[in-house]
Amino acid sequence: MAELTPIERVRRTFDREPVDVMPFFTGMGMVLLPPIKQRGWPFPQVHLKADKLAWSGIDSARYGKLDSIVIPYDMCWESEALGNKISLYEDSEDILYPTIPNKNWEEVEQVKITQEDIDTIMQKGRMPLIPEAIKICKKEAPELALGAWQLGPFTQCGQTIELDRVLKAVFKKKDLVGSILDSFTEMICNIVQDLQAAGADFFTLREPGVAADLLSPRTFKEMIAPRMTRILQAWKGNKKCFHICGSTDPICEMMWQCCVDSGTPMISFDIKNTLVESRKKLGDNALIVGNYDVFGLPCREETTPDEARQGIRVNIDGLVDAVWPGCDLWPDIKPDNWFAIENEARTYKAGQPTPALGRL
Amino acid sequence: MARSKEELLEVLKQAVIDYDEDTVVKASQEFADAGYLALDGIMDGLAHGMQIVGDLYEKQEYFVPEVLMCADALYKGLDILRPLVPKSAAGSKSQVVIGSIQGDVHDIGKNLVKMMFDVAGWEVYDLGRDVPLENFVKEQMRTDAEVIAMSAMMTTTMLGMKKVIKMVKEKNPNVAIMLGGAPVTKDVAQLFGADGYAESAGNAVAEGIKMIARLREYEAKKK
Repeated sequence: MAELTPIERVRRTFDREPVDVMPFFTGMGMVLLPPIKQRGWPFPQVHLKADKLAWSGIDSARYGKLDSIVIPYDMCWESEALGNKISLYEDSEDILYPTIPNKNWEEVEQVKITQEDIDTIMQKGRMPLIPEAIKICKKEAPELALGAWQLGPFTQCGQTIELDRVLKAVFKKKDLVGSILDSFTEMICNIVQDLQAAGADFFTLREPGVAADLLSPRTFKEMIAPRMTRILQAWKGNKKCFHICGSTDPICEMMWQCCVDSGTPMISFDIKNTLVESRKKLGDNALIVGNYDVFGLPCREETTPDEARQGIRVNIDGLVDAVWPGCDLWPDIKPDNWFAIENEARTYKAGQPTPALGRL
Repeated sequence: MARSKEELLEVLKQAVIDYDEDTVVKASQEFADAGYLALDGIMDGLAHGMQIVGDLYEKQEYFVPEVLMCADALYKGLDILRPLVPKSAAGSKSQVVIGSIQGDVHDIGKNLVKMMFDVAGWEVYDLGRDVPLENFVKEQMRTDAEVIAMSAMMTTTMLGMKKVIKMVKEKNPNVAIMLGGAPVTKDVAQLFGADGYAESAGNAVAEGIKMIARLREYEAKKK
């Protein structure tokens, strides 16, 4: 049986063509601490230069035996490009992802996203580093699939405006919020197209701020879903995935409808989703991924490698089509646990097809 | 003719549920002007309404936007009635230091828990969000607060809580530490050495409301 390269495996996964072994990849953050420590790079530094972004991703993928590289890692890029200041926590001893501690726009009425912002977003802030880093990755690690990603417009809103204001405005100023979401949607579509042009192999749309533990399914249907479909349509071809963190059981069918309407074959959930039920609702044609605990299995001090293996068995028994984490990987992995996870992903029920993906 | 106390309590309760700030303001002022006990207005009117809001949230009839609007309405009433509560009637003035851990800029859950403490009449020292770890310790020592309440909405920031607990307990083992936020489980809270926990932003609402319910029972038994 011919062994596929990681990029072949990922491409075939999206095409629903049989693969050699269980795909082990992600469309979300995957930077790992051991390889960047080997480079001598402090964590805050990897977000600031294209070569460090690229090589931290390449090294993490190769070290972790992942089929994909995904860059960048933090969720501040677009908000920063719109004028907000990021905090890098350079003095912290802990791993802290960059944040936007204070937003320039406190109230939704203050939001001003101009057409110029939308059209030239890729030239602002750190944004130019992303396509530059993508090109480095494609040149230096052609065997790996390169995943691009974007936050959806509602979460992007929450990165740029005080979230509690946005949430209340969903009720009190619905039209205004709709207009802001449209601006973000158009901006995100432009970014998506630029990332695809830069050479990214697949795309993940992440909208963690809209699950049923925050917004009603009705709000999801009316305000969010149409914009999700639009953004997913901006990525040409079928190599794309739609992910939401949080309580997604009540909205998984609506999420899948966005996928169907946009030609998106893959859907991803975090650990709160009842995977077996989602599989029943969405059927065997859906490429379902996600759902394993990104801290508990690979990082938590008390978790043994055997327990980590068991976690992956549960994930595979939950009928996923690829072993893909439920959220960004936490960088400070315990190597024994991580490699137990990878090994179990590739060997548990080896040779057996998953609902949407056959085996060579 | 002034409305009866029971009528006004019902109005206050319902206005919180309906996130009707104007009615809360009007009814709170009327309650105060009628000379009814302000603490009763807070606990049996406003807080009772918020308790029902919590139930509606648990049943997934209300979601976070509604809860936030209800909280705004409650605060409008609290602004009017709280100053009228005599210090003795408010019970002992317990103190809490509250904040979202460094690296975490989410504060909705934290603010809802803060509201619970406000309703209960605690002295609240809100450090805000993205709070450097040592600031929890410094503020507790400055205020001698009995409780520290820390929130994290991401696994990536939760780990700082363990360090804060260690730092605090070394200086003052009698301080009670409560953890909350989506990644914090009962196991994690125990593991980190905390004294209590609220599971997630959503459950913090329910937990906060349950604490208000327990407070209401406690106040009722005192009468």
